[in-house]
Amino acid sequence: MPATGGARRGGAPLDEIPNTPAPEEPRADGQPGDRELVERAQKGDGTAFAMLVERHQRQLYRLALRMTGSEADAQEVLQEAFLNAYQKLPLFRGEAQFSSWLYRIAANSALMRLRRKRRAPDALGEQPLELSGPKFSAEGYLEPTSSSDWSQRADERLMSGQLGTAINKAVEELPEDYRTVFLLKDVDGLSNEDIAQALDLSVPAVKSRLHRARLALREKLGEFFEGPVK
Amino acid sequence: MTSPIQHCKECVELLGEYIEGTLPPDRAKALEDHLSLCPPCITFVRTYRATRKLCRHVLAREMPEELAFSLKSFLGKHVPGFACSQSEAADAAAVAKADSEPKKV
Repeated sequence: MPATGGARRGGAPLDEIPNTPAPEEPRADGQPGDRELVERAQKGDGTAFAMLVERHQRQLYRLALRMTGSEADAQEVLQEAFLNAYQKLPLFRGEAQFSSWLYRIAANSALMRLRRKRRAPDALGEQPLELSGPKFSAEGYLEPTSSSDWSQRADERLMSGQLGTAINKAVEELPEDYRTVFLLKDVDGLSNEDIAQALDLSVPAVKSRLHRARLALREKLGEFFEGPVK
Repeated sequence: MTSPIQHCKECVELLGEYIEGTLPPDRAKALEDHLSLCPPCITFVRTYRATRKLCRHVLAREMPEELAFSLKSFLGKHVPGFACSQSEAADAAAVAKADSEPKKV
């Protein structure tokens, strides 16, 4: 199932990426940094562009996969995004990180693909939100049902495959924009800033959705280990 | 002086930023003070962390090799000078770097 951004979503133009400074640390592997490769690619060096593709294709693949929910669509998005990036390279002025710029291009491509397939909801921000979370007493203390420690029992259940099924189901049941943020951050390791730019959300909105998604998933996993809370 | 965390609810609300290390130091200290006195919240932190770890373990996806190959093949047709393999790109980069450095006499 596809998942996209939120209140500010909708494929914002690339020139709306904020003018954040793009400091470039020396790379530990001794390879040229993105900025140098971009400058070379802008001068027509196809090899430099190939190195940028090699460097960013995995994260871009994860972004495309999480947004479209389909391996085939992710492949199309990846091709389209890199080709689009190559064609727009003369417009890239280095005011944002190259990776953020690339994520935005890929996210726009994924959104357009979803819209063509009529799979993108029109008003995600108005979706009813039914996320579970921990239970508190009136005084704000955790209820006993929300504080069972199953963390040490996870490994044996993981081996059985049952836990994998439960996790897949729980993640699938998350509202799609929460699911995408969670997958991109906690599973794929993108930064909050990159997710915000790709999905056209604010960083606080990313953090909020991430936390709510984690709480809901934790609750579902608790039910898996302990049985549903009555 | 930072205000103490009295209730679990406030502790839980701060947990996301706490485990990512982005909580301001005074709030992190207040949260740790609460944790030192609240076994249910310690358990909550453990299961919150375990949720992330388990989901990552189950849901992580790597880019398939064949997809990487087809992407390179596609871009090779559309981008002039696009190297066909990583080793070719690395070799070309090394040559370019060597060419740009002053030659020893």
